[in-house]
Amino acid sequence: MVEVRNVTYRAGGTLILDDVTVRFRPGRFNVILGPNGAGKSTLLRLATGLAKPTTGDVRYEDRPLGTIEPETLARTRAVLSQHVHLAFPLPVIDVVMMGRYPHYGRVASGKDREIVDRALEMVGMVGKRNQAYPTLSGGEQQKVQLARVLAQIWNYDDPAPGVPGQHRYLFLDEPTSSLDVHYQIHLLDIARGLLDHNCTVVAILHDLNVAFEYGTHFVLLENGRLAREAERAADITAEELERVFRVRARRVDDAVGGGAFWRFSL
Amino acid sequence: MTGTARRGYAGTYVVLAVALAAALVASAGIGAFTFTPAQIISYVAQAAGWEPLRTADALGRSVFFQLRLPRVLMSGLTGAVLGVSGTLMQGLFRNPIVEPGLAGTSAGAALGASMVFVLGSGSALAFTTLLGAFAVPLFAFAGAFAATMLVYRISSSFGKVNVFTLLLAGIAVNAVCGAGTGFLSYIARDPQARNITFWSLGTFTTADWRGVTLVAVCFAVCFVWSLRSGKALNALMLGEDEAALLGVDPQRLIFRLLVINTLMVAVATAMVGVIAFVGLVVPHVLRMLRSSDYTFLLPASALLGAVSMEVVDIVARVVIPPAELPVGIITAIVGAPVFLWILLREQRQGGSGFYG
Repeated sequence: MVEVRNVTYRAGGTLILDDVTVRFRPGRFNVILGPNGAGKSTLLRLATGLAKPTTGDVRYEDRPLGTIEPETLARTRAVLSQHVHLAFPLPVIDVVMMGRYPHYGRVASGKDREIVDRALEMVGMVGKRNQAYPTLSGGEQQKVQLARVLAQIWNYDDPAPGVPGQHRYLFLDEPTSSLDVHYQIHLLDIARGLLDHNCTVVAILHDLNVAFEYGTHFVLLENGRLAREAERAADITAEELERVFRVRARRVDDAVGGGAFWRFSL
Repeated sequence: MTGTARRGYAGTYVVLAVALAAALVASAGIGAFTFTPAQIISYVAQAAGWEPLRTADALGRSVFFQLRLPRVLMSGLTGAVLGVSGTLMQGLFRNPIVEPGLAGTSAGAALGASMVFVLGSGSALAFTTLLGAFAVPLFAFAGAFAATMLVYRISSSFGKVNVFTLLLAGIAVNAVCGAGTGFLSYIARDPQARNITFWSLGTFTTADWRGVTLVAVCFAVCFVWSLRSGKALNALMLGEDEAALLGVDPQRLIFRLLVINTLMVAVATAMVGVIAFVGLVVPHVLRMLRSSDYTFLLPASALLGAVSMEVVDIVARVVIPPAELPVGIITAIVGAPVFLWILLREQRQGGSGFYG
């Protein structure tokens, strides 16, 4: 479990997060929602250890984040960012192998290489393993980055990243923005699959319908404050969405698939 | 690039090592005095005591051991220093056009060193004294570190390095250091002035065993230290945040490598002067031929740097006998077009990335 406790974050005098307390539990698909500038990315940076809170603290399984060795943390916590640019043209397989860096010293073991292969297989990029990363399309690059972060928290003896008893943390920062609809679903299904492997998944998602479909715990941010925490998508009301996102929200029944989805207008 | 071929870098290392051995023998043999490989072996055997000393060889031995051999070793070491330095700086700045000559490292070192040369003469810091011998590399290090740090700070903001700011900052810092060095050579009395001018183009003619030892020790320490950073430099290709998420402390890595890099470049520059473009061309060639993987580039650029500097030094010795060309002139003639070519390539690709 990742606990963010009474966290406040200031940058250059501006208050970006104001006394936010949230818990990201394992086995849940935690989703951070909120309009632009609400502090979603900052919350993610604080929760992953990329930034330090001005006040308050972040704990992983009751251990303050600051007391965990960066290398140790890197073996269990991975973050998929929106877009990762590579300064030099490495082949795809070398990029994915970087996910194993926290696990080996000088030379990658056979197990590391096998994990890399399995991660590439999982995202459907085995055929491009030797292609130079910068020559890939944006969506393909994102798949390679997903393979890299999966490899980072993967355990060899496990069919998927994470094993019981050993906590894993996967953070996704708007992971689907450059993916076509097929791979959006594919990526989110992979992330959901990790929930059965003692993994805590935290995602920033912009598409509210996708968020409500996958999420099992919702953190709604508004102007740097926690506006709402909900366990079920149905608990978040149209009024709340309309106020926070400044839109008109309408619940529409899905005539074919059953259930319902949101339609938004200004 | 195939899956089986790219794994083994050993083949490339062997080719480079053989090339280095050949270059060392050629460089040791060619010049105003010509030594055949057989002569060289005989001299070494005599000096080592495996063969009795032959009086007929006294002059040849003395030329070989006092002039030729230190020079050959110095040029090889300097080449290795500059090759590794180019690789490190390109890794730090995440850009293939950075090298010590461009980022102000060499010019800063030259300014620091020439301060000792000119202002220290006649005092306790005179180059001929023991203290002076250490003051030169020390001041060179201070100048080089200040210049590199300044360029890095100006060109990087929010974890990204801006290429154009980098080039402009490099121009400015190089100009200031060049002006400082020029001023010092203006107020200096002959023969110091002549030395500075000559030395600002790079030369191995002044190589002696003391200098070789100093550069060798510095290079060995810095090189071994830098080899441990191969993986971290690869991770840094993804940006500072991604590197941090992989367990690398980017600020500490950058600072540590700047110190290592500046130390070896400053000491080499203090001994042989400013030699530009080697640090640019060597990693570039290796990236084109094999890979941008830093665990490969670091050792390979040391080898290729040494090979190319031996070749350049041979050319410097034979082009206009009996005079010698400053090596910096040759490296600039070869290196500047390569630099322009990389820039053009980058521009044509619309800034999407190098080599891709």
